[in-house]
Amino acid sequence: MSGKDLDAIFEEVQKPARYLGREINVVRKDPSRVKTRLALVFPDLYEVGMSHLGLKILYGLANQREDVYAERFFAPAGDLEKLLRQRGIYLFSLETHTPLQSFNLVGFTLQYELSYTTILKMLSLGGVPLQTAQRKEEDSFVLGGGPLALNPEPLAPFFDFFVLGDGEDVLPEILNKYASWKKGAGSREAFLLDLAGIPGIYVPSFYEPLYDGEKFNGVKCLKAAAPLPVKKRVVNDLENTFYPESFIVPYMDVVHDRAILEIFRGCSQGCRFCQAGYIYRPVRERSVAKLKGQARAIIRQTGWDEISLSSLSSSDYSQIEELIAGLQQEFAGRHVRLSLPSLRADPFSLHLADKVQEKRAGGVTFAPEAGSQRLRDVINKGITEKEILAAAEQAFITGRSHIKLYFMLGLPTETEEDLWELVRLVEKISALRQLAGKRRHSLRIVVSASTFVPKPHTPFQWEPQLKMAEVKSRQQFLREQLRKIKGVQFTWPAAEMSFLEAVFSRGDRRLAAVLEKAVALGSRLEAWSDRFDFALWEEAFAGEKVDPCFYAYYKPALDDPLPWDHLSSGVANKYLQKEYEKAYRAEVTPDCRREGCQGCGLQNCPLKQVKKNVPL
Amino acid sequence: MYPYRLCFCKEGALRYISHLDLQRTFGRALRRTDIPVAYSRGFNPQPRLRFALPLALGVEGKNEYLDLDLSAPLQENIIKETLNAQLPAGLRVKNVSAVESSQPSLSSLVQAALYVVDLSVCPADLSRGLNSLLQAQELFVERRGKKGTRKIDIRPFIHRLEIRKQEKGEALLMLLAAGSRGSARPQEVLALLPARGFKDKIYRADLFVFRAGELETPGGVSVERYVEVFYGKENCD
Repeated sequence: MSGKDLDAIFEEVQKPARYLGREINVVRKDPSRVKTRLALVFPDLYEVGMSHLGLKILYGLANQREDVYAERFFAPAGDLEKLLRQRGIYLFSLETHTPLQSFNLVGFTLQYELSYTTILKMLSLGGVPLQTAQRKEEDSFVLGGGPLALNPEPLAPFFDFFVLGDGEDVLPEILNKYASWKKGAGSREAFLLDLAGIPGIYVPSFYEPLYDGEKFNGVKCLKAAAPLPVKKRVVNDLENTFYPESFIVPYMDVVHDRAILEIFRGCSQGCRFCQAGYIYRPVRERSVAKLKGQARAIIRQTGWDEISLSSLSSSDYSQIEELIAGLQQEFAGRHVRLSLPSLRADPFSLHLADKVQEKRAGGVTFAPEAGSQRLRDVINKGITEKEILAAAEQAFITGRSHIKLYFMLGLPTETEEDLWELVRLVEKISALRQLAGKRRHSLRIVVSASTFVPKPHTPFQWEPQLKMAEVKSRQQFLREQLRKIKGVQFTWPAAEMSFLEAVFSRGDRRLAAVLEKAVALGSRLEAWSDRFDFALWEEAFAGEKVDPCFYAYYKPALDDPLPWDHLSSGVANKYLQKEYEKAYRAEVTPDCRREGCQGCGLQNCPLKQVKKNVPL
Repeated sequence: MYPYRLCFCKEGALRYISHLDLQRTFGRALRRTDIPVAYSRGFNPQPRLRFALPLALGVEGKNEYLDLDLSAPLQENIIKETLNAQLPAGLRVKNVSAVESSQPSLSSLVQAALYVVDLSVCPADLSRGLNSLLQAQELFVERRGKKGTRKIDIRPFIHRLEIRKQEKGEALLMLLAAGSRGSARPQEVLALLPARGFKDKIYRADLFVFRAGELETPGGVSVERYVEVFYGKENCD
């Protein structure tokens, strides 16, 4: 694209800073001097994608190599999409404004089911043939990674291969294989066959799903080289693995505009609804010394004024107090704030939050997930009402302006009584506002109730989603009851969005046609509720004669084959079954880091040696 | 507190970042240096930066200004060089000078801005259009604000409009009132002229304050002298 065309685009779009690609720490290379051009694609807007850690890690890692140039792509906003179509311009990279189709490897991150249509849209705007079967020798290879790569079946016809698990170790191996394949100029299939030998690589075209009538009945391996199952890759030595320090600093305001320190990966809480809690196992920590060094380097190179201590459950980091104190000492007088996302709803977490936020005027967010103790035991959310109330009490006394409470609606076994308990819990928290003295009138309690979506590789993979009509009536119930409580604001996502998430979450390859249809009908950026159009989806399902309710509501037997059985998270199916049965007995499973190994079946887990009852 | 006045330019791709983005960019560039920046007090301390006048998205600025407070004095050229090493291409500090701490900030002093539109082809009816604008008693334009659309007369805010010859073709110069006492926006004036389609070549040459009844740049160059001597030579280095 000429500079003139580009300027014309920047003049016309509402937020040109999304597409400039001239940020601080952006990597500049001469594309003609590299062997492999890698597109790192985040299928959502710049402000969402630039908040994502995985993209930053892979960008830094790939660009360390002289033979590779990795460039970023984000979903175009509506105004840019229109201009691209009108002017016949291909979707372009941020770094060199090169069309997507000119990249050798096009890698998508799979974070959210409702981004699938955006992926297809981006491929087509970028001039890449949609189906793998349509791609010729010179076309890009399309790959996907991230949490949803552990059941990417609805996307199978569009992707040449997927990467299961941590990408840091696999990406260099892919790049090496690509370089040697390109030199030899073999067929596309030769490259894929070579890749299938790398642990963690899943080539969907080498597996054929079998059906017994309507029922999914396992997969058939079409190539001897294709492993069964494909096992997720794990970076064992997180301490010494690559971590970026010169993060790209956006000009415009993005969702998380701050430095990210990944203090550990994995989570040992074992909440039964939580896919991240299973697929990112085992827990691997970075040392305080390492993190301090990384923090220093990142702030020096980015100039950010905030560092987020990121993980799935930050108060579980074994040396969290030392880390906070160490970072505060490091940045004393330099106006660098710390933030702690993903806190548990207990007094210890609030104590930590108070530490990092010396002026406690802000809010605090807790996720009790379920209203009753019984239901919290079902989902194995190891937190008691006493702890929640104690944390809320402390929050109000120490001067917080609001508390956000995250709940989930439609959890397995949920009854009306559980919802009443939820209401009563919010009432009790509201009553605590008295403790704040005169400020009590301005204190807000924001209650958010998302809808439970059953996820593959969790004990609830065998559970249906609650029927949509029932979801809506429970939302209505909460709305009416919570309205009566002073200072409470209630928010909930559209039941239709959660329904679609459920459809694609446990979906199989028969859904691929629906995705194509939905794109043809004009769906895009579904992750944004203001652009979500359920009628269009109903038309797409009807057009392809696929019943979405089958996917959202099916309840397979524990020994039925599941569409993702050939992809392994490392956690044993037997363990998930055991957890499923325990859920129905409302029986909790303790945190293996506190109480010793619970036998999830993970190989090479460093925690297997942990003896029982050793305090953290 | 040790206040300094920075003159900088914003051009090329960086003309597409907003005023808020620009503030963040300077704040972060400063944090990447050891320059002893003074911070505001309060809940969320921010570097003490005061920009003279926001620049619209898409418009280049050849001589923009900001006042910066340091907590300790530092040589002007060291501030300039240290900061320039951290600024992205398209943003460049051209000059740094210490100012009296008793001086009011530039944002309260700026009264006018000189905008330039490069015209590779000068439309024949443009000068006639200019004359009729200048002869008009009032020029109402619609301005959208937070409280809806209102009509305002921008004629009193147009100080000067003229076409000048330059190396390549000609240029339209617009000296417009700016700042809190009322302003005319370059796009509003252009919209009143017969020829359109030159919006991508617009830049802001400099800002002007009233001193002793005359408009001059913050550095003390009168409008007349600016147009005769400096205009057209506003490069960034």
